Amino acid sequence: MNENIKSGITFGLIGGLLTFLFGGWSVGVLGVLMGIGLGLALGPRFNPRDGWMSLAKQALPAAAASGAILLVLSLLQNYVIDPAIGQNFEDLDVVIPANLVGVVGGILFTCIVTALHGLSEEWERKGKIILLGLVILAFPFVDKFTELRWTAQIIFALIFVILGLGLNIVVGYAGLLDLGYAAFFAIGAYTTGILSSPQHNIFLNFWLVIWIAAGVGAIFGLILGAPTLPLRGDYLAIVTLGFGEIVPVLFRNLIDVTIKEPLTCWILPLFKIQTACITFMSHEDLTAGEKGINPVGRPILPIIKLNEAMGIELVIKIAVLLVALALITFLYIRIWRNGNRKVGSVASYAAIVAAILIVFLPIPRTRVAVFDNVLGIIQPGEFQSDNPIPWYFLIIAIILLSIFLINRLRESRLGRAWMAIREDELAAAQMGIDPVRTKLLAFAMGATFSGFAGAFYAAYIRGIFPSVFDFSASIIILCCVILGGIGNINGVIVGGLALMTADRLFLPALKDFLKGLLDHTVLPALSSNPTLQAAVGQNANPILYRFLLFGLTLVIMMSVRPEGLVPSAQRRMELHAGEESGGTPVAAK
Amino acid sequence: MLELKDVHTYYGNIHALKGISLKVEKGEIVTLIGSNGAGKSTTLRTIQGINRPRSGSILLEGEALEKLPPHEIALRGVAQSPEGRMIFPRMTVMENLEMGAYARKDKSGFDEDLERVFNLFPRLKERINQKGGTLSGGEQQMLAMGRALMARPRILLLDEPSMGLSPILVELIFEIIQTINKEGTTILLVEQNALMALSIANRGYVIQTGEIVLTDTASKLKANEMVRKSYLGIE
Ligand SMILES: Nc1ncnc2c1ncn2[C@@H]1O[C@H](COP(=O)(O)OP(=O)(O)O)[C@@H](O)[C@H]1O
Ligand SMILES: [Mg+2]
Repeated sequence: MNENIKSGITFGLIGGLLTFLFGGWSVGVLGVLMGIGLGLALGPRFNPRDGWMSLAKQALPAAAASGAILLVLSLLQNYVIDPAIGQNFEDLDVVIPANLVGVVGGILFTCIVTALHGLSEEWERKGKIILLGLVILAFPFVDKFTELRWTAQIIFALIFVILGLGLNIVVGYAGLLDLGYAAFFAIGAYTTGILSSPQHNIFLNFWLVIWIAAGVGAIFGLILGAPTLPLRGDYLAIVTLGFGEIVPVLFRNLIDVTIKEPLTCWILPLFKIQTACITFMSHEDLTAGEKGINPVGRPILPIIKLNEAMGIELVIKIAVLLVALALITFLYIRIWRNGNRKVGSVASYAAIVAAILIVFLPIPRTRVAVFDNVLGIIQPGEFQSDNPIPWYFLIIAIILLSIFLINRLRESRLGRAWMAIREDELAAAQMGIDPVRTKLLAFAMGATFSGFAGAFYAAYIRGIFPSVFDFSASIIILCCVILGGIGNINGVIVGGLALMTADRLFLPALKDFLKGLLDHTVLPALSSNPTLQAAVGQNANPILYRFLLFGLTLVIMMSVRPEGLVPSAQRRMELHAGEESGGTPVAAK
Repeated sequence: MLELKDVHTYYGNIHALKGISLKVEKGEIVTLIGSNGAGKSTTLRTIQGINRPRSGSILLEGEALEKLPPHEIALRGVAQSPEGRMIFPRMTVMENLEMGAYARKDKSGFDEDLERVFNLFPRLKERINQKGGTLSGGEQQMLAMGRALMARPRILLLDEPSMGLSPILVELIFEIIQTINKEGTTILLVEQNALMALSIANRGYVIQTGEIVLTDTASKLKANEMVRKSYLGIE
């Protein structure tokens, strides 16, 4: 069978089988997403010189195959599966448009995306970016309209994308295997929790706290990185593993902290000098231990919901923002052109941060009025738990900022120093690279992004609990990076999304699906044996096996496609060098 | 320009350098010859700060190097084409050369030096996008030397550049070393191939089990009885 049709069928099958789990409008959304995916897979197989019209036509058979499979499976879901698992038949008002959108939209998008490959390279890139932008922009609204409720879970996946991006700096760029990265996630989250919650009656604004969290993360990156400096390979991994264990334990136990000034409290009394003992902190509960810190303050963005009092302030803020943006752009282009990139970067980052602070820091009227968002009084523009859309765009913004910063870092002098250190530390030192500084900065930069993620996470779930940051979290983040492709930003994004979407969306849906299926097939038949019935009912829960499934995924990935889903060009070459040239792969020294 | 005074270096208990003193003047090619295990590489590694001398001093135009870490020494204009070449295997030829220029402060001369390296080693230009690890031994040697030159060093340390190369390539490499020197780079050349080394050097030192046993101009060393016997294999 034709290779393209095969791909079409694969995509159709994936989409169709997923509709089994989600039902409702999912066929519409999945159809379009699969269509885009198929188009991306098909494009490079055709000759771009044929022109975009011809490419669209060439993609049609595969697209149609995919659509047909999707339709068959979706109807199967509506008419066979749903009744079998005891779901009510969906309204025809949903079934008909959902299938129509899925099939027609899917075919259409496959053709459009394939056709992009027929454009000039520049326009293909632009086209893809625009399309991706539209999908990202439309997703939460489509999700809301179709009542699929995926956005809230996708946000968790996106948090792990940021974590993956940060870890990728340490592991992918600098080649330092860090098995305790969740420690930095915890530090970011606890910084946010401590600085904006009733725990200590400190209620800093989220827009400020997120930068502080990033900064504190970076500082702890330096502190925890320092002892690992003389270590290499396995030893480094073991020490970071230790840190990953220590940090959550620390947060569990910082519940009765007393800090005394040693000179006045212990040393002077030794010499029989009587002084008042200066105590900085006495029996203070810093982290609330196992209970966790709860509630944590949330971002407030006056643009979201206007009220009269906010009106004038808002207009001023927006004006400031626009002027600042114009200024930044101007400055950036000017300085960039003139070649002084360092000044240009610093100035523009400073300007961006300043503009963000000006715009988002609400002007306090009274303390309570500003911070009562924490205390249960809803402020205009406060992010809410029942509406994931603002959160979604916030995390998208953080990811875009992270990608921008990481790209700049990678291409900078520091980025090249990381690559050199990864390859051969001694040779790098002979090139004039300071290994100590370079490695410390890798830890610090990596931890900065987990600071962002931690701050967002604490605000999003509105609380922090130490168990979230255990060893398993470090491993999951590492899995995201490995699954996607170490060292490649796009890969890490795909890896994080794939793994965490599977964890957050797919497994729970599979659980419900299995439960429905068993309740209506096997379990009634077992009613004579209640013990067995209960055992089957309880164990048919894929969420129980999530780590097993993670492990299996990794094992399969490593044996089938060790370079990850979207590998960096370099890794692909190394890992497949043997196959292509018949020689042995280059050993990494 | 570079001066070692009574340098002692140890590997644990092994006393590898037992008081090395030597001098390289600006613009010279000085060669350090000696048999396997005599301490030639250790001398270069000590100059570069990779091995730390237990006593003695190393001066680069009067500035003490012996307490500085390797990267600081590199930043002061000491570049080495090390034993075993130590190129970055997963970086391309171009990226390797760019890494070589990491230490230099004047970015403006980069293109000029790149052209110079490509003129000296046209083979590298042909393989500009090939990964360093996939180059042949001779090409890796050229890359290691080219990378060191990209730093535009004040002094270039070459550790057995002829090792493992075919006779024709050895001739070529030594010609290039002379060219580099004529263009103004001071060179400290470590070799087992004493005949070749002495024929291009101004002066030479003979090292035996961690000690300098003989020093003279290259032509006198070439005529020396002991050198002829032990290192040139001429009875
Ligand atoms: N890493 C090391 N550990 C212990 N001994 C070493 C090490 N490197 C070199 N040596 C010893 O130091 C002496 C000098 O070695 P080296 O400088 O490499 O000699 P050469 O370059 O002249 O062949 C030798 O006896 C060698 O065995
Ligand atoms: Mg040697």
